Amino acid sequence: MRRWPLGSRFGCFAIVKSRWRLFATVVAGLALGGAILTGLAVPQQTNREESGARLRESPGAGALFGWLGGFRALAADLLWLRMYAGWERRDLPGTQTLIRAVVAVDPRPAYFWINGARILAYDQPVWRIEAEGGFEAVPTERRRVIEVEQARLALGLLEEARGLRASTAAMWTEQANIELNKLGDIAAAAASFRRAWEQPAGPYYAARIYGELLRRLDRHREAYEWLCSLYPKLPPEDEAADAPLVLARIRELERMLAVPPAAAFRSGR
Amino acid sequence: MTGGTKPAVELRALTKDFVVGLKDLRLRAVDQLSLRVECGEVFGLLGPNGSGKSTTIKLVLGLLRPSAGESEIFGVSSSRVEARAQVGYLPESPNFQRFLSGRELVAFYGRICGLAGARLKSRVEQVLGWAGLTEAADRRVGTYSKGMLQRVGLAQALVHDPQLVILDEPTAGVDPLGAAAMADLIRQLKAQGKTVVITSHLLAQVEDVCDRVAILDRGRLLLCAEVASLGNRAVASSPESLDENDRAELARWLSARGKSPGAVVAAQSRLDRIFIDEVRKNRSDSGSGPA
Amino acid sequence: MTTVPFSLTRVGLIAAVTLREAVRQKLVAGLALIACGFVLGVRALRDFNFGTPELKFIADFGDGVIAGFGAVLTIVLLAQLFFGELESRTALTLLAKPVWRSEFLLGKFCGVVAVVVVFCVLLTATLSVVLWQRESALRVEGFAAVPAGVGFDPGALWVAAWMHIVRLTVLAAGMMLVACIAQTQLYAIIVGFSGFVGCHLQHVAQGVYSRAGSSAMAWIATLIGWMFPDFHLFTLEAGGAWTFEGVARLTVYGAGYAALALGLAVWVFRHREI
Repeated sequence: MRRWPLGSRFGCFAIVKSRWRLFATVVAGLALGGAILTGLAVPQQTNREESGARLRESPGAGALFGWLGGFRALAADLLWLRMYAGWERRDLPGTQTLIRAVVAVDPRPAYFWINGARILAYDQPVWRIEAEGGFEAVPTERRRVIEVEQARLALGLLEEARGLRASTAAMWTEQANIELNKLGDIAAAAASFRRAWEQPAGPYYAARIYGELLRRLDRHREAYEWLCSLYPKLPPEDEAADAPLVLARIRELERMLAVPPAAAFRSGR
Repeated sequence: MTGGTKPAVELRALTKDFVVGLKDLRLRAVDQLSLRVECGEVFGLLGPNGSGKSTTIKLVLGLLRPSAGESEIFGVSSSRVEARAQVGYLPESPNFQRFLSGRELVAFYGRICGLAGARLKSRVEQVLGWAGLTEAADRRVGTYSKGMLQRVGLAQALVHDPQLVILDEPTAGVDPLGAAAMADLIRQLKAQGKTVVITSHLLAQVEDVCDRVAILDRGRLLLCAEVASLGNRAVASSPESLDENDRAELARWLSARGKSPGAVVAAQSRLDRIFIDEVRKNRSDSGSGPA
Repeated sequence: MTTVPFSLTRVGLIAAVTLREAVRQKLVAGLALIACGFVLGVRALRDFNFGTPELKFIADFGDGVIAGFGAVLTIVLLAQLFFGELESRTALTLLAKPVWRSEFLLGKFCGVVAVVVVFCVLLTATLSVVLWQRESALRVEGFAAVPAGVGFDPGALWVAAWMHIVRLTVLAAGMMLVACIAQTQLYAIIVGFSGFVGCHLQHVAQGVYSRAGSSAMAWIATLIGWMFPDFHLFTLEAGGAWTFEGVARLTVYGAGYAALALGLAVWVFRHREI
């Protein structure tokens, strides 16, 4: 075979040009055809941002880890196991990072969000206080600061969960408990219990606690009206609904509010 | 389609350059090659390794695109699928789908060429018989020897009864019996009026079956002539061509040096000699050393 | 001159031989067996499952097996069959016959897609059996969670299987384009896998580029969005509340991209030296 050097009409420019032409044609063809197909076949409501929540809920999807496909459930589970190893060592940043990683890999299960929030709100304040010398040594004000900081982290996680997936009653009750027990914010907790009750399959106790918290907020009239409206919805055969307890609370509030017997609540049962 | 005055193969200033890397080189494999292969003849394409024989055949079959020039089969440009409708091709060292039996393989290529039904069945049996593979037809191709692969390759090339048969090194790696059988088959094809283009290193064999030969070196055509006309150009002589006295003297001369009389043999056929002379001449003309 | 029109018969013949070759490959048998093993053995992974209801976990895992192994199968098988044919020079014999290069490519493509279809159907059927069996067992055990919308939905499972088939068909067509451009099998496989991940993540790139605010970046994002099919849409439809319209639209979308990639592959292959 004969070699033809640079500078001949078969030199590098012709070669480079032909290869560029090939790539340019492929890119242009894909872009042009793709533009037509995207316009024709991709429904607008499933486009990008609008489909966010649905997109993240679907199996094999996820904001960044979609390419894991259906393996993301397993990947999240394995990361959760690793998180527990950090939890046993009381590794504060490691545990927080892995909780974030787990919910990023698979944001669908409420389990990860709720248990992650519990670790942040209940376990980590203890680690921090003990790391600073223990409950005896750390002043109450400092303990309070730590608990509020951790509770805010937990509430942030739960709020993020509601942005990424459908909220559940369990997530609202978890939020309410943190607001009540860690922040001492009764009004916020009451609102959250009410949201929990309003979710599909919302627990009866959430509705009862909402009424109870209204009483603690001295909103007795509101509490009375709430329980009166709740009572007819309680199935008498369901122990969890505990209708007799609700009726007893209604009677207590009637006495407290001096409701005349004629205007008293009639259970009709 | 094959009638008229159109040649079976016609190459006009055919040139092929291969790109080497992204830098600055192209290798010229075929250089301004012009040839005509007439219908019904057996044509030998000869040349040393790397001379451009296989590239020329790929250009003829439209498997490669020429950098310049034209190639036609029965007057149809090689770039068209129609050009291959009447061509049977046996590649060098053929390789086939190993999981198919010989019969399935030939039938597959027959169907690809448009055969079907009883005609397909009869052609498959016929070409398997010609190739001597009737008994091994139901064995998987993966179990075939090299010679059998060559024969099943020939069967697939002939299954659709093509007018032009192109055989690329058909006897490479085949034993002498197989090579002789191949030569017989080529003669049979010629007798049937087919055009055969053959490349081979066994020049003596080509000499026996070809009507015309062309010698290529470095992509250039060095010689194209009828085999019969090459007799005058023969330059080599064998010991058998000497008279009795000369032979006796040669034997004594060899004996005095401890050599047997058989130490001198006719190592090269007439075509071998011409081939080597032409190639050497070409290389000295173009200023490079011997191959 | 006798004309030789494009022939679906020849495409079918090449596809049938490709399919026969593919099913004899250890890669195909190995991947199918491992994938089936994963689906059948998913219950052994229950101890790793924390957050997801069991049936959902099994369905998800099976979905991952089909998507993951299906992609590996499609990319590697197509590269092997394409380059194997060129390297063993069987393509030389075939293309020396009156065969259009488009017929050759389409035949190879159809053969690979046939393997992909068999793979997806086989695994989805296996997954259906595993889910049905587990759901029956859970019902016997009296798990209240089973009827609450997390039970086994065969319709959704087969819609997901169809979406896998469409997506892997697009992947096979894209891989065919890559193989026609690439000079080596390894290069084609690497580019194929990169493209697969890119198609899954392209919506993320879209978001990043569009948030960048620069019009040049927005143009790049748009160009990427057009060039690469968004594989996310298929999982979205399969995993969400699917509709016939959605499935039909995505089928058209996938078929369009496959046709586009195949058309370009044919154009590139026509210029390729065999």
